[in-house]
Amino acid sequence: MKTAQEMKPNSVALIDNQPWLIQKAEFTKSGRNSAIVKMKLKNLLTGSATETVYKADDKMEQVILDRVDVTYSYSSDSVYVFMDEDYNQYELNADDLESVLPFIVEGMTDICAAVFFEGKVISVDLPTNIVRQLTYTEGSARGDTSGKVMKVARLANGTEIKVADFCNTDDWIEIDTRTGEYKSRAKAPA
Amino acid sequence: MTPILSAFDGGFGMRASWDIFCSVIDNFGDIGVTWRLARQLVAEHDQEVRLWVDDLECFARLCPAANAKDAQQLHQGVRVQHWLHDPLQQDPSPQDQPPSASAPDYSSVKAADVVIEAFACQLPDAYIAAMAQRARPSLWLNLEYLSAEDWVAGCHGLPSLQPRGLQKYFFFPGFTPDTGGLLREAGLIEQRRRFQQDPAARQQFLNSLGVIAQKNSRLVSLFSYENKSLFSWLDTLAAATRPTQLLVPQGRIIAELQEWLGVKQLSLNDQHQRGALKVQLLPFLSQPDYDRLLWSCDLNVVRGEDSFVRAQWAAKPLLWHIYPQQENAHMDKLDAFLKLYCHGLSPAAGTALQAQWHAWNSGLNMAKSEQALRQVWPELEAHSDAWCTQLSAQINISTALVQFFRKWL
Repeated sequence: MKTAQEMKPNSVALIDNQPWLIQKAEFTKSGRNSAIVKMKLKNLLTGSATETVYKADDKMEQVILDRVDVTYSYSSDSVYVFMDEDYNQYELNADDLESVLPFIVEGMTDICAAVFFEGKVISVDLPTNIVRQLTYTEGSARGDTSGKVMKVARLANGTEIKVADFCNTDDWIEIDTRTGEYKSRAKAPA
Repeated sequence: MTPILSAFDGGFGMRASWDIFCSVIDNFGDIGVTWRLARQLVAEHDQEVRLWVDDLECFARLCPAANAKDAQQLHQGVRVQHWLHDPLQQDPSPQDQPPSASAPDYSSVKAADVVIEAFACQLPDAYIAAMAQRARPSLWLNLEYLSAEDWVAGCHGLPSLQPRGLQKYFFFPGFTPDTGGLLREAGLIEQRRRFQQDPAARQQFLNSLGVIAQKNSRLVSLFSYENKSLFSWLDTLAAATRPTQLLVPQGRIIAELQEWLGVKQLSLNDQHQRGALKVQLLPFLSQPDYDRLLWSCDLNVVRGEDSFVRAQWAAKPLLWHIYPQQENAHMDKLDAFLKLYCHGLSPAAGTALQAQWHAWNSGLNMAKSEQALRQVWPELEAHSDAWCTQLSAQINISTALVQFFRKWL
């Protein structure tokens, strides 16, 4: 058993004998020293979706899922196609990729993990750390070099992310996909 | 008042049963809110309510008619039941358990139509089983903490999927119409207005506490957690031109107050004068008497959740000591409330108020902010009245809960 707080997006919880894919999970401190997790769930048997809330320490039964390494190929009309080393293609709708969609860009070479439930692909996990290029950001306003002052920047797919003030357009940055936050400036992938 | 449930059907009958579980963690907020809610469900909605509380000593402070040794008792139509935690289950407040207490037997307990776990307390496993075993499982609600943060509206009323066919929902109090509202008894605002318009009633009440209100003095109540800003605030009041009478119901601030006064022990109704400041210790007050104290004062310093809300119904300026949380999470909650509360204030008043509340909650010197606040005091008085009127137009928690149950049926 895991706590609700430990359940991450793209994991599956068995609730009342129904498998629910966690598409999104937001942790919030409520009052005193307790916390809640707001989740967007999708029932893998019926396809129905719901928003739900748990106490952060509520116990949840996690379903262990099969995973296969894949890379991103292309997208068309909100369908995203990934491919494994045997050239098998896996199609996913944008709705099933909600937590990773902000970081999917054309030409990305990350080794991702396609996640399967009862033989059917249900989502894709990105690596914990990914490198992306900034396509636009304002110039440094304050000349800060500490990395503590942040500003908004944009990725190739339009995703906006807060980066250190010293980052420039065309720079490459490292992102933590668990939090969706900027980690550091990075070298361009080889 | 016509009970809202009188038109109910769906197999729950005319009068629904409610079990409210309250685990007292540290102060009086948990039991203060749940006791208030329980009374209101009985008095205004004709519901059958059982209040499970794990600390009857604490309950008896708020309800002087209660006996802390009676495991079951009836007060104001509410069945009060001592909640003995199952020692095999994780216990949020083991210090409240007498060592000899044995595990409760829930096999004979009939789960209620509506079950409220207050402030995320942990229901007994056996009781949850009893909820599931009913012909129609109980409606299970987690009554959450009060917060003015934006995310509250997005979580209020959402389900929390559970095993065994149980339906659980999160219910969030709040300050906006898209939340569950605040606890407010029917007729409270009118009762408060009548009291405030009747100087004789105010004087009679204050006299009953041993307080003689001095002419031209500012009357201030102080109910706060330990606070590093207290000394500088008291210094400022003592040095002010206008006299202040500070009324302090018994509570956690007393030790620091004694230290500032330089006395070993404050006794009830002792009066200590320091410059323009006169300090008087009051007994711990029942909820109705505490309301009247708030209505009588020109400024109320309050803490946590229950006294914070009651001070807003008093329609007088207030200073809030928010419950401190790990990683300063409480400062976001403080700012979220200030954002709502300061709407409509002039920039000068808004800035002064925020500076004072931040100083009070950050252990900073209060001199500058206290002086700035005095410049805008008439505006703050008018604003607190307008804020109360605005809030009182919203639904109150007990009505919102009954309506929630009605929709669920």
